[in-house]
Amino acid sequence: MNNAAVQADGLVKTFGRARALDGLDLTVKTGEVHGFLGPNGAGKTTTIRILLGQMRADGGRMALLGGDPWRDATELHRRLAYVPGDVTLWPSLTGGEVIDLLGRVRGGLDPARRTELLERFELDPRKKCRTYSKGNRQKVALVAAFASDVELLVLDEPTSGLDPLMEAVFNECVLKEKRDGRTVLLSSHILSEVETLCDRVSIIRAGRTVESGSLADLRHLTRTSVTAELIGPAPGLAVLPGVHDLTMDGARLRCQVDGDALTPVLAELARAGVRTLTTQPPTLEELFLRHYEGAAR
Amino acid sequence: MTGPETGPATGPMSGPATGPMSGPATGPMSGFTTGTMTGTGTLIRLILRRDRVLLPAWIAITALLPASIASATAGLYPDQAARDSFAAASAGNPAQLAMRGPIYDASVGGLTAWTLGSSLALIGGLISILLVVRHTRAEEETGRRELLASGVIGRHAPLAAALAVVLAANLLHGLLSVPALVAAGLPAGSSLLFGLSTAAGGWAFAAVAAVTGQLTASSATARGIAVATGGLLFALRSLADAGGLGWAAWLTPFGWVRLTRPYAGDQWWVLGLIAVFAAALAGAAFALSARRDVAGGLLPARPGPATGTLRGAFGLAARLHRGSLAGFAIGFGLLGAVLGVAARGLNTQLDTPQFRELAATLGGAEAGISDVFFTFVMYVLSQLVAGAALVAALRARGEEAAGRAELLLSTPVGRLRWALSHLAFVTVSPVLLLAVLGAAAGLTFDGDPARVTVATLAYLPAVWTVAGIATLLSGLLPRLAAAVSWTALGLFLVVDLLAEFKLATGAVLGLSPFVHVPALLLGSASSPVAPLLGLTAVAVALTAAGLALLRRRDLMPSA
Repeated sequence: MNNAAVQADGLVKTFGRARALDGLDLTVKTGEVHGFLGPNGAGKTTTIRILLGQMRADGGRMALLGGDPWRDATELHRRLAYVPGDVTLWPSLTGGEVIDLLGRVRGGLDPARRTELLERFELDPRKKCRTYSKGNRQKVALVAAFASDVELLVLDEPTSGLDPLMEAVFNECVLKEKRDGRTVLLSSHILSEVETLCDRVSIIRAGRTVESGSLADLRHLTRTSVTAELIGPAPGLAVLPGVHDLTMDGARLRCQVDGDALTPVLAELARAGVRTLTTQPPTLEELFLRHYEGAAR
Repeated sequence: MTGPETGPATGPMSGPATGPMSGPATGPMSGFTTGTMTGTGTLIRLILRRDRVLLPAWIAITALLPASIASATAGLYPDQAARDSFAAASAGNPAQLAMRGPIYDASVGGLTAWTLGSSLALIGGLISILLVVRHTRAEEETGRRELLASGVIGRHAPLAAALAVVLAANLLHGLLSVPALVAAGLPAGSSLLFGLSTAAGGWAFAAVAAVTGQLTASSATARGIAVATGGLLFALRSLADAGGLGWAAWLTPFGWVRLTRPYAGDQWWVLGLIAVFAAALAGAAFALSARRDVAGGLLPARPGPATGTLRGAFGLAARLHRGSLAGFAIGFGLLGAVLGVAARGLNTQLDTPQFRELAATLGGAEAGISDVFFTFVMYVLSQLVAGAALVAALRARGEEAAGRAELLLSTPVGRLRWALSHLAFVTVSPVLLLAVLGAAAGLTFDGDPARVTVATLAYLPAVWTVAGIATLLSGLLPRLAAAVSWTALGLFLVVDLLAEFKLATGAVLGLSPFVHVPALLLGSASSPVAPLLGLTAVAVALTAAGLALLRRRDLMPSA
C-alpha cells in the first residue's frame, strides 16, 4: 500500500444519471510503467482527472503519492507531469514558450534534456501553437513532461497523434524514465506500445476494473485456440470445464480452451488419437477484444 | 467523458434537404460556380442547429422593440405639442445627437425611428459580427472546418452559409417588426422601410466581419478588427451629428440607417447604398477566401521565440489579456478624443432654454452644458467598458472550456492562484479603460484630463459589479456563464431604455448597477461615497463567492 504511487479503491463518479466510474480500483506501484486500458468512454480520462484533483470522486478513495489528490493538489503536482489526451495550447504562444512555461511552473526543467528532446521529436519550438498539428501539440506537452524532474508521469493516450517513427522515440523516452526509477501511468490503445513498455496493466470497462496484473498473468487468463484432426471420437471433451466454442466438422475439431484447462484437454485428445494438432497462443489482441467487446454492445 | 447532457441521436443535417433554407444560396455570391458552393444548405442547417436558441431570441427581442417603443412614445407624449417640445429639447442635447442623431420628424413614428435607429444598428451589427466570425474563422481555428471541408463542401460554402443565415436573420427581425408597428397605428410603407433599415445595419457589419474573418488566422483578432471598425464608424456618425458636420454621416452605415428617414420622407434609395456596401464587402470576402489555404490567413504567421520568459500563471495571464486590453484602450481613447472634440464649444452653441431646463432636472442648474453632455455619454460608454470587462472576466472560463486550464492546473499552479492571475486583469482593465476614456475626452475638450477622468472612474464599482457577476457564474454555472453574463449586461441596457421611457421605475431600475453611480460632474446633492462603497462591496461579494465556488467544483472542459 505505502509504496504505491497511485492507489484507488472503489472510485465512483456520476454525471447526472450517467455513472462514469462504478467502483473502480487501480494500483500503480512506484517505479513501474502501468498500462491503463479500456474502450472509449470506459472512464480512463475521468479517473485521471480525479487523480489530478480536477474532479472530486463521489465515492471511494484515491491516494496519489501518499496524499489526497484534491486537498493536496498543489503540493502533489510538484512531483508529477501530465500529458492530456487532447492537448490544447495557447494559440498565440510558441511551442518553446509553452514548454518553458510548463517547465518553470513545475519547478524548472533540464535545458540540455529540452534541447535533446526537441531534436529527437523533430519539433520546431518557434512556431505558434495555433499552427501545430495534433501530433505536434502532443510533442510540446511530451517534451515539457520528459524534460521536467518529477516522480510520476501521467500520460493519457500520448501517442494518438504521433507517426510510427515518433512512437519509437516516445517508447525510448518512457523506457529511460523507467530506468531512472520514475513511475509512469500510461493510458493507451496501442498494443505494441503496451507490450513493449508496461510492467503491469489494468483494463477497465464501464467504470470498473475488469482485469489487473502483469501481462504474463493476464495471458494466463486468456484462451488458447486448438484445432485438431482426430482419429477416434472424443466424447468427454464437450463436458470438460474450460472448453468453449466447441465445433466438430467430421474428424476436424475446433475449440477455445482456458489456460488452466489445457492439460485435461490434451489428455482427452491423446485418448482419441491425433492426426494433426495446431494450437495458437493467446494474443493481446484477443485479450483486449474479449474485454472491449462487452462495451460495444 | 462529457457531462450529463444528451441529445438527439440523429441530427437535423441528416436526411433529405427539406428545411426552409435548404435551397442553393443566392444573393451577392451567385456569380461563383456551383462546385464552390456545394454543401451550403447542409452548413446552413448546421448553423441553425447550433444557434437554435440564440437566433430566435435575438430576432424576437429585436422585432418586438420598435412597437413597444412606439406605444411608449405615444403614451408619454400624447399630443403633437408634447412631442414638439420633447423634440426641441432633444435637438438641443448634444449627447442625444451623438448617440442617436437628429430627429427628422416629431411624429410618433419619427421619434421611434430616432430612438431605435442607431441602437438597433449597433446591436444588430455587433451580433452579426459575432455570428459571422463564429461560423467562419472560429470554425477554422478550432479545426472543425477541416473535418467538414474534407466532406462534400465547396470552398465558399462556409462563408456563404454564415452570411445567408445572418442576412436572413436580420431581414426576419426587420420584417417581423412591421405588423406590430402597423397595429400601433403607424403607416405601413414607412414601417417597412424602418424594419428594412434596422436589418440593413446588421447586413453591413456581417459583411465587414466576412472580410476580417479572411485576414488573420485568429478569430479573436478577426472579431476585434470588425468591432473596432464598427466603433470607429459609429464615432464618425456621432461626430457628424453632434459636431455639426452633417455631411459626414453619409460616410458611415450608422448614418445611412438613419438617412433612410422612415416616417420622415422615406428615402428608399438609401437602402441601396447599404446593399452596395454589403455586397462589395461580401464579394471581397469571397475573393479573399479563394486565394488562401483553409485555416490560413492573408497576414502570414511569423515564427516566434524558441524559448519563453513567462514566469508562471501571472505571466501567462498577462500575455493572454494584453492584446484585447491594448485594443480596447486604443478604442476607448479614440472614442474619448472624438467626444472631447464634439463637446468643444457646446457651452455657447447650445445654450438654449430647453437645455437649461434639462440640466436643472438633472440636479445641476449651474452645471455647464458640456458637463451634462459628458454625464449622459459616459453613462452609456461605461456599459461598453463593462462589456470589455466581461471579455476579461470570462477569459478564465474560456481557458477552462478550451481544455487549456487542465494542462496548467496539472502543474503546481493551484486553482485559486490561476483564478487570481486572471482576476488581477479583470480588476485593473476597467481602471485603465475608464481612465483612458476620461483623460482623452478631457484633453481634447479643454486640456484638463483630471475632471472628466474622475467622473468616468466613478463607474468603476458598477463595472466591477458586472465583472463580479461573470466571476460568480463561472463558479456556479460554468457552462452558462458567458451566455448569462452577457444577457445580464443586455438587461441592464434594456432597463436604462425602459427607464428613459418611464416604463420602469424604482425597484426594477435599481437592479442596474449603473443607475446607482453618482453624476460627479453635476455635483449630486447627496454624498457620492456611500453608493460607490456599496457597489464595491457587492462586486467584492460576488467575486469572492465565485472564487469559493470555483475551488469546490469539478473542472468542466467543454469537450
